[in-house]
Amino acid sequence: MRYDAIVVGGGHNGLVAAAYLARAGRRVLVLERRHVVGGAAVTEEVFPGFRFSVCSYVVSLLRPEIIRELDLPRHGLEILPLDGTFTPMPDGNYLWRTNDHGRTFREISRHSRLDAEAYDEYGRAMVERARFVKPIIDAPPPDPWSMRPRDLGRLLFLARRFRGLGSTDRINQIQLMTMSAVDFLDQWFETDVLKATMAASGIIGTFLGVRSPGTAYVLLHHYMGEIDGVFRSWGLPRGGTGSISNAIASAAREAGAEIRTGAAVSGILVRNGRARGVVLASGEEIGADVVLSSLDPRRTFLQLVGERHLPAEFAAGVQRYRFRGSSGKVNLALDALPDFTCLPGPGPHLRGAISISPSVDYMERAFDEAKYGRFSRRPYIDIVIPSLSDPTVAPPGRHVMSCFVQYAPFHLADGSWDEQREAFGDAVVDTIAEYAPNLKDIILHRQVVTPLDLDREWGLSEGNIFQGELSLEQLFFLRPVPGWAQYRTPIDSLVMCGSATHPGGGIMGAPGRNAALMVLNR
Amino acid sequence: MTGRPVVIGAGPNGLVCATLLARAGLRPIVLDARDRPGGAAATTAIASGFRAPAFAHSVAIRPDVASAFDLASRGVRVMYPRIPAAVHTGDGRLLAMPADVAQGADALKPFSTRDAERWPDFCATAMAIASVVTRILDAVPPSIDGPSGHDLWTLARTGRQARRLGRARFYELLRWGPMPIADLAAEWFETPALAALICSRGVLGMHAGPRSAGTAAQWLLQSAVEGHPLGLPGMTAGGPGALADALAQAAVQAGAEIRSGAAVTRIEVDERGARGVTLQDGTTLESSTVVSSADPRQTFLDLIDPVWLAPSFRQQLRNYRCRGVLAKVNLALSAMPRWTGLDGPAPEEALSGRLIVGGTPDDIERAFDCVKYGQMSPRPWLEVTMPSILDPDLAPAGAHVMSVYMQWAPYELRDGSWDDRRDELASTVIRRLAEVAPDLPSRVVAVETMTPRDLERQLGLTGGQIFHGEHALDQLYAMRPVLGWAQHRTPIAGLYLCGSGTHPGGGITGAPGAHAARVILRAMRKGNRSDRV
Repeated sequence: MRYDAIVVGGGHNGLVAAAYLARAGRRVLVLERRHVVGGAAVTEEVFPGFRFSVCSYVVSLLRPEIIRELDLPRHGLEILPLDGTFTPMPDGNYLWRTNDHGRTFREISRHSRLDAEAYDEYGRAMVERARFVKPIIDAPPPDPWSMRPRDLGRLLFLARRFRGLGSTDRINQIQLMTMSAVDFLDQWFETDVLKATMAASGIIGTFLGVRSPGTAYVLLHHYMGEIDGVFRSWGLPRGGTGSISNAIASAAREAGAEIRTGAAVSGILVRNGRARGVVLASGEEIGADVVLSSLDPRRTFLQLVGERHLPAEFAAGVQRYRFRGSSGKVNLALDALPDFTCLPGPGPHLRGAISISPSVDYMERAFDEAKYGRFSRRPYIDIVIPSLSDPTVAPPGRHVMSCFVQYAPFHLADGSWDEQREAFGDAVVDTIAEYAPNLKDIILHRQVVTPLDLDREWGLSEGNIFQGELSLEQLFFLRPVPGWAQYRTPIDSLVMCGSATHPGGGIMGAPGRNAALMVLNR
Repeated sequence: MTGRPVVIGAGPNGLVCATLLARAGLRPIVLDARDRPGGAAATTAIASGFRAPAFAHSVAIRPDVASAFDLASRGVRVMYPRIPAAVHTGDGRLLAMPADVAQGADALKPFSTRDAERWPDFCATAMAIASVVTRILDAVPPSIDGPSGHDLWTLARTGRQARRLGRARFYELLRWGPMPIADLAAEWFETPALAALICSRGVLGMHAGPRSAGTAAQWLLQSAVEGHPLGLPGMTAGGPGALADALAQAAVQAGAEIRSGAAVTRIEVDERGARGVTLQDGTTLESSTVVSSADPRQTFLDLIDPVWLAPSFRQQLRNYRCRGVLAKVNLALSAMPRWTGLDGPAPEEALSGRLIVGGTPDDIERAFDCVKYGQMSPRPWLEVTMPSILDPDLAPAGAHVMSVYMQWAPYELRDGSWDDRRDELASTVIRRLAEVAPDLPSRVVAVETMTPRDLERQLGLTGGQIFHGEHALDQLYAMRPVLGWAQHRTPIAGLYLCGSGTHPGGGITGAPGAHAARVILRAMRKGNRSDRV
């Protein structure tokens, strides 16, 4: 059986690409190595009765046009609001921002009246900046070397768009592209805990600290999310992040795509510089006119294609593409709710995100340890308790708690991650228990996902959740390899469609959609 | 135009600008708070018979400026060491890199044959890319709102030169700019000591460590300015003060007047624009052309009444980052200390350039970590020069002077004040030096220490920032000092900037002063003084 297109990897980007191709009438096959689709956007019943969003755990960046065009709500996608961010502090104080404007204003005023006023202004400015970037996300980046009219036109469009901005907007835009999250926020705010918590968005998935230049961009990256047209709102998919993947898979299947799980691709067949299909670990060969890989470039080109088929310059570019995973995950099955000393009881503050980011120095010190190859003894942790909004994921009265942790450097100076797994889990639990002392007594089960697990089990090289660092030199027309940022590769009819391509990681779907549209427009 | 043009500050940039204005027949008056011209280019006597660079220990005057000033015939002799950079490795060896590419490869062989093989290609790539940066250095940045024909022409020429790099290097130029220098060095080399030398050129004066994005841009800038990927320090015979004297002499000969000990306390402005300056002694000099080589924050936030500036513009300047990180220590040494890893017959030559103390990128990064928490580095990164090696007249026979840049020393200390901790700073530096020269402490006969506060007090550097504002990605080129005002003009008609706070930034280059003079003269020829806000 021969297909029009084979998609390697059934993560959300691979599924999005497959859905778009199938809807255009192409015969599409998706091959997923694991027993379940979704890649890192997956829900698994790790302990009986407790269903975890094992890796990725919240959603916001999923492009609204994908939700609309694939009609995902009809395929079961339902996004529950995740309201607010609660930051407990060691001195017994806290910062609790919610979507309730008046309440947040009063809350920030408690820390600083000036900051409460600046907060609105800041929110407006960031939404403006996200709007500016939107058309850049939704199209392939231009190639600045190329003299093709299409690339020149696109560059001119961007230059004009930039020139069309007012002077303050221009400055903000440039600052967001170059500054550190803390330097950027320093211009607006004085409250340390507020800056620390907001800056946390700037380090997610990066090997950078909140004071490292380049993190302001990642801050913006996390502002691009929109739910129902509202920028910067985050939600929990009912049934966990796996339900996003399942909805996309269902849309793809309905359009005629075939999806095989437990089908590990061991090679991409290349003849005369052209991809002809794939070979599975079982030895089975499947032919196709186009192969799309949603894997990162290291896996796609160095493992599945092989260096001998690649131009030397491109292979060198792939080799130096940086991953350096920095995050881990601790998933807890709880018998009861955590009780925070600074705001006791099971209030609505537990329904949003709970951020362990008490000060800028705390965040920076967490990074300092990682730089020298140790996991942070006192890490930054982003906690959600999905079972409060979505009772289907835990037995009655019990809860699941998802803890996203930084920093957990893939490359440890001493020992291996398999040896350090429990110590890492303990550091996370100990850290949270400093703010919620009952935690240790209510843990029924604990799953620790190390960067090594992300690499081995989910195929994320070096455990980087974005399939490669979102650093300035790996973005836009430089992602993943300069000159090869438009989803095409030096191998004819082999196309990249994963998070390692523009506009990067997160449950966004844009790489899958952009790549599929590129294939269809050829 | 009313009055003679006034130039604030007689540092190299102020003097270069004044001279070029004077040669156009304008007879500018240069006002300087200190007792002699030269600014950061100065020579100081630290003990009887010992003279050292007071602040900057190397100069990199742009070739066009040097020839326009005929510096050679004015007796300025700039010497370039054969070995511009050296650093100790963790195991006590010394990596001393000659400027010559082939000799550099030979020096690397004992450390890594792979690195030795890559060195020539790295130098060629870096210098090809730096040549595009050089073109950018030597032109005034374009206006973004209304680029003139001249702007577009300059941009087109820069673009053409960038394309001449070829596809691969063209992409490298774009990719390198925002990188951390440690990553860039690691892409090429495996020898930590070599990486440390490259990183050192990326962190000087920076509130950033080698792992911080944007340090590769600083390295490229320094490589372009000095013409070598490891830097090539220009050491002035007689100390940097000799350069200052020659620049001052050129200015006076051209018709400028230099008034030392004349501190400007206010720039006078009315609705027409700049009207002159008022000095500390109360006298006022009237002029419709005022050129400030003071840093942008001092110029706009300290010297100008806020009513004349839009609040948004003042806000931008308050956000212009000027965090000083560097301290300066000068040592008079009774004799050459014995250096670890240097047993040869003529150890001096290996030390005649910059000796870096901090043998791995991680050593440098750890030194940087402290500044984030307002602490001075207990094991700092040092850039050491011994100018008396190339210029023995600076010290008595057999003795030496040593000029040390120490990082990181945050201007804002979390604990204590710099005045209380000055001695601690000196002893920290000496202790660090003793790691590679164990007998050095016993050779020290005099110490001169300058904390970031001292740099601010003595040189008027806001925040002790040696570059008049950090060389951060958002504070360079068309954004220096702020986006929209990178062409030496300001929102006040007749007021211009000519200091290191403008493109292409800090260092003793004379380039900002020369660019500013061109802009001012062009504006005068056109008869329109400046855009008004």
